[in-house]
Amino acid sequence: MKHLQTGLLMAGMVAGAATMAMTSAQAKEIVVGMACDRTGPTQTVGVMLCPAYHDYVKLINSKGGIMGNKIRVVEIDTQYKVPASVEAYQRFKKEGAVVVALWGTPMTQAITSNLNADHIPGTSPGFGTAAAANGEKYPYLFPMAASYWSQAGAAVTFAKQELGGNIKGKKIAFIFYDNPAGREPIPVLEKLAALEGFELKKFAIPPPGVEMKVQVQDITRRYRADFVISHLFGKGPSVHIKEFKRMGYPLKKLLSFVWGAGEADINGAGGWAKAQGYNALNFAGVGSDYAILDEIKAMYKAEGKDAPEAMASTVYYNRGILAGAVHLKAIEMAVKAKGSGDITGEDVQKGFLAIKDFKLGGILPPLNFTDLDHEGGGWARVFRVEGDNFVPAGDWLRGYRDVVIEMLKAE
Amino acid sequence: MFHRESGYFNTTYKADMALYPLPIAKFAIAAILVLFFVVAPYFLDEYYLSIINLVAIAIVGALGLNILVGYTGQISIGHAAFMSVGAYTAANLATKLDLPFWLTLPAGGAMAAFIGILVGIPSLRIKGLYLAIATLAAQFIIEWVINHTPTISGGVAASIEMPPPEFLGKELVNQAELYYFLMVIMVIALVGAMNLIRSRIGRSFIAIRDQEIAAEIIGINVFKTKLIAFAVSSFYAGVCGVMYTYYLGIANYENFQLITSIDYLAMVIIGGLGSILGSILGAIFITMLPIVIRLLMETFGSIFVDDAALAQVIAQFRLIIFGGLIIVFLVVEPDGLAKLWQNIRNYFRFWPFSY
Amino acid sequence: MEWQFLFELTINGLLTGMMYALIAVGFVLIYKSTDAINFAQGEFVMIAAIVVAGMATNYGFPIIAAIAVGLVFMIIFNIVLERVVLRPMIGRPIVAIIMATIGLALILQGAGPLVFGAGTKPLNIGVPDEPLIWGPLFMTPIDVVGAGISIMFLAIFGWFFMKSRKGVAMRAVADSHMTSMAMGINVERYFALAWILAGVVALLGGLVWGSAIGVDTQMAALGLKVFPVVILGGLDSIIGVVVGGLIIGVCEALAAGYIDPLVGGGTKDFTPYVLMILVLMFRPYGIFGKPIIERI
Repeated sequence: MKHLQTGLLMAGMVAGAATMAMTSAQAKEIVVGMACDRTGPTQTVGVMLCPAYHDYVKLINSKGGIMGNKIRVVEIDTQYKVPASVEAYQRFKKEGAVVVALWGTPMTQAITSNLNADHIPGTSPGFGTAAAANGEKYPYLFPMAASYWSQAGAAVTFAKQELGGNIKGKKIAFIFYDNPAGREPIPVLEKLAALEGFELKKFAIPPPGVEMKVQVQDITRRYRADFVISHLFGKGPSVHIKEFKRMGYPLKKLLSFVWGAGEADINGAGGWAKAQGYNALNFAGVGSDYAILDEIKAMYKAEGKDAPEAMASTVYYNRGILAGAVHLKAIEMAVKAKGSGDITGEDVQKGFLAIKDFKLGGILPPLNFTDLDHEGGGWARVFRVEGDNFVPAGDWLRGYRDVVIEMLKAE
Repeated sequence: MFHRESGYFNTTYKADMALYPLPIAKFAIAAILVLFFVVAPYFLDEYYLSIINLVAIAIVGALGLNILVGYTGQISIGHAAFMSVGAYTAANLATKLDLPFWLTLPAGGAMAAFIGILVGIPSLRIKGLYLAIATLAAQFIIEWVINHTPTISGGVAASIEMPPPEFLGKELVNQAELYYFLMVIMVIALVGAMNLIRSRIGRSFIAIRDQEIAAEIIGINVFKTKLIAFAVSSFYAGVCGVMYTYYLGIANYENFQLITSIDYLAMVIIGGLGSILGSILGAIFITMLPIVIRLLMETFGSIFVDDAALAQVIAQFRLIIFGGLIIVFLVVEPDGLAKLWQNIRNYFRFWPFSY
Repeated sequence: MEWQFLFELTINGLLTGMMYALIAVGFVLIYKSTDAINFAQGEFVMIAAIVVAGMATNYGFPIIAAIAVGLVFMIIFNIVLERVVLRPMIGRPIVAIIMATIGLALILQGAGPLVFGAGTKPLNIGVPDEPLIWGPLFMTPIDVVGAGISIMFLAIFGWFFMKSRKGVAMRAVADSHMTSMAMGINVERYFALAWILAGVVALLGGLVWGSAIGVDTQMAALGLKVFPVVILGGLDSIIGVVVGGLIIGVCEALAAGYIDPLVGGGTKDFTPYVLMILVLMFRPYGIFGKPIIERI
């Protein structure tokens, strides 16, 4: 099998010798590691997000890889367990991965010190500790996308916009998953409440959050919130849409953080018709109107296959594309800088920092990584359920960036 | 297996109950020690050592649970909670008071043992399944308390970064260095458990398991003994939690949730209730199974399934195979892997003249 | 305002409690007649809902047909299960049976998504989502329907066990396998019947809860709610399930409404367990459970 692959690779190289002669001289297999959760509590995300990563890598490989160097993905399902993730990380290291995609906040925390010791960059898009965006303290950890702090900033900005530009004295409810990841945005929200003068009340949902009628009742019937910001995971989001709907609360005034933004959440809540007006933050574009997705479809068509099932979820699939695209971009930068495919984790770390204004045809916000900012700018965009689709409600936004940066530095 | 067992006659009780009843056992133990302490770390990649590390940690936890469930007959579904008690105790001591591992380990164990006694108190009145559910309650309550008490959990993130253990001035950072550290603790725990079981207390554990009322009649203080069982078991769990903390580099309660308790229960039941060897085999089996299944399916799975779909199929099949094997073992070999091993040994003992 | 909120919480707590009882009754049915402890009760509910929702969304079955498929599936599945897994386990220690059902739970967790896909599916049994408003009182229709179904079936089971011939035989089997056999009861058939009934109840639970919260493997977490309910009421009592369910439902609602704001954390899932421990200290066999007399 191995020989066959090598053989095919050689054949391909000979065929494309004219263009690839420059780079294929030292063509090398570059390994990336990906931890995923396909059977644990966050599986609804994993089964959509991880295939996208594979598809993107496949697409790049089908175009000849990165300057002739093919990419190989080692994926391990960690079931959202910490020891399994550490074991997976050791496996990635053994396979010689130059960058690893982490999965889950506690796992990210456990592996962070290893990343620094082994000089392998790891990425945690949309989860992990917000403070990790500070690259000066965590040089090898790249959140790559808006952290929970940045999301909190964006959420308050959006709430302000929706409530007519002034939220002084308004009642805002924050309904969150009662675990460390869920509590993460609270300091920012409290700071902003003091800054903007709105009233903030917190409602905790114990994981796994399959039942939250009482809290929703509390928000809508006793507290009578003007706006609700929610931060739930797994099954929580679909349940809270249903419950707010059942309490007759206008979903237009409900904004979810990034892990409540999926098509699966809408389906679970009973379908699009029932979730009209529901808002959710995203750190990658939503919808299938992007050139890169067409390319992937074309790739499958050329193989005589249908587009993958996971593509039905444009939210999580596109986030997988984000992870894949940024990883490969960083590798590309590293390969370019080095002049060969013989790169290490350190090179890729520098590759990340060399990424400037990376948008990939609009599916990503303009990502810029700097020594301090490993978030890529902390961009988020609100998408709203209208008809049978998520429709953008406004452009990419960053809220209260100064406050977030200040907190990053203070950590 | 390949040595002569006949011709040795023990003439005292002491000799009969010795840890190594046969002279050759000493050589066998020495050989195993050399294999694991000298040969293995020299030849194996860090990745494989990290797996052995996980197994070593699991063995300590499984021994503890087996003392409670297998030897004393008290079901506990809250084992992981005691681990988290140990983990957070050690992490707080190591970060706030800068204590070295040889203090944090027993301290973590002792704290867990204390909490274990508290949880064990209801066992005076509650029995069987009711007790099992009471320990489940302990799991949730301990988890909740840690999650909501910043002084214990170290702040909003509820996770404390653990400094690496230091031995003779050297920080043990990578898996190869941690390997010796964890293996030594495991061996100490193992010898401790083996000795405990053949002591007076160990025998009273077994008496309670087999017939509680009869045990009481022959003069065993049932309540006290049950509490001791809870304490010892939780002590092991606490130490296991501290080991996890050093291994992972953080103390995090999300690592010690119900699913972990269930994994450990699976270890002792599949390994063999009331058997030290069973705890070891069970810990190896449950820790290695997902890894082995994954490796096998990665290697051979692409023959049957499309590459793109493979990752998903692996993940789902792993659950099914895992659950299926648990059931098959329970139905086919009720006494677990330990008994299976014994059967194999007995077969070879008389081989080739098995009749 | 405040009393009204309290009233609403209590009413909704009671309704939710009845829906918990619907899941818990499957657990009690099995324990009562076969002495087995089913840790996969939540997974039973989940797999029933996944089959129905999967048939309806993946294969476009009308909901009635999907429910029929689900019913047939649950019955066959439970018969096979009883025959292959549980019967060989009779007379083994409690832990072994607990573990076997946990193994079963893992299989169901893996198999459901493998066959029907892992995403969350809607399950629409035709209950509207708009709130019912009676004067100052807010209620959600699915809770009312769920509680109604629950009360109906609990009443049927109550009658079945107390009055019908089969029910009495089932209680006899639960009491002593030996004596029942000697009296000419076909013990094995009643074991199968108990599991079938549990399967049917799981289907009902799956329908009600599936349409309340959407269908995926996370539904199995509902199984954890069962334990305080059954332990509080007593493991072998149908009345106990109802009372336990109501107490837990109200306790959860009040904890979330009044304790949460004080401690700043979600107490809803763990207060039932605290309450349960307290009750157990005074009544070791639950409120309605039958004490076991131990002899040598």
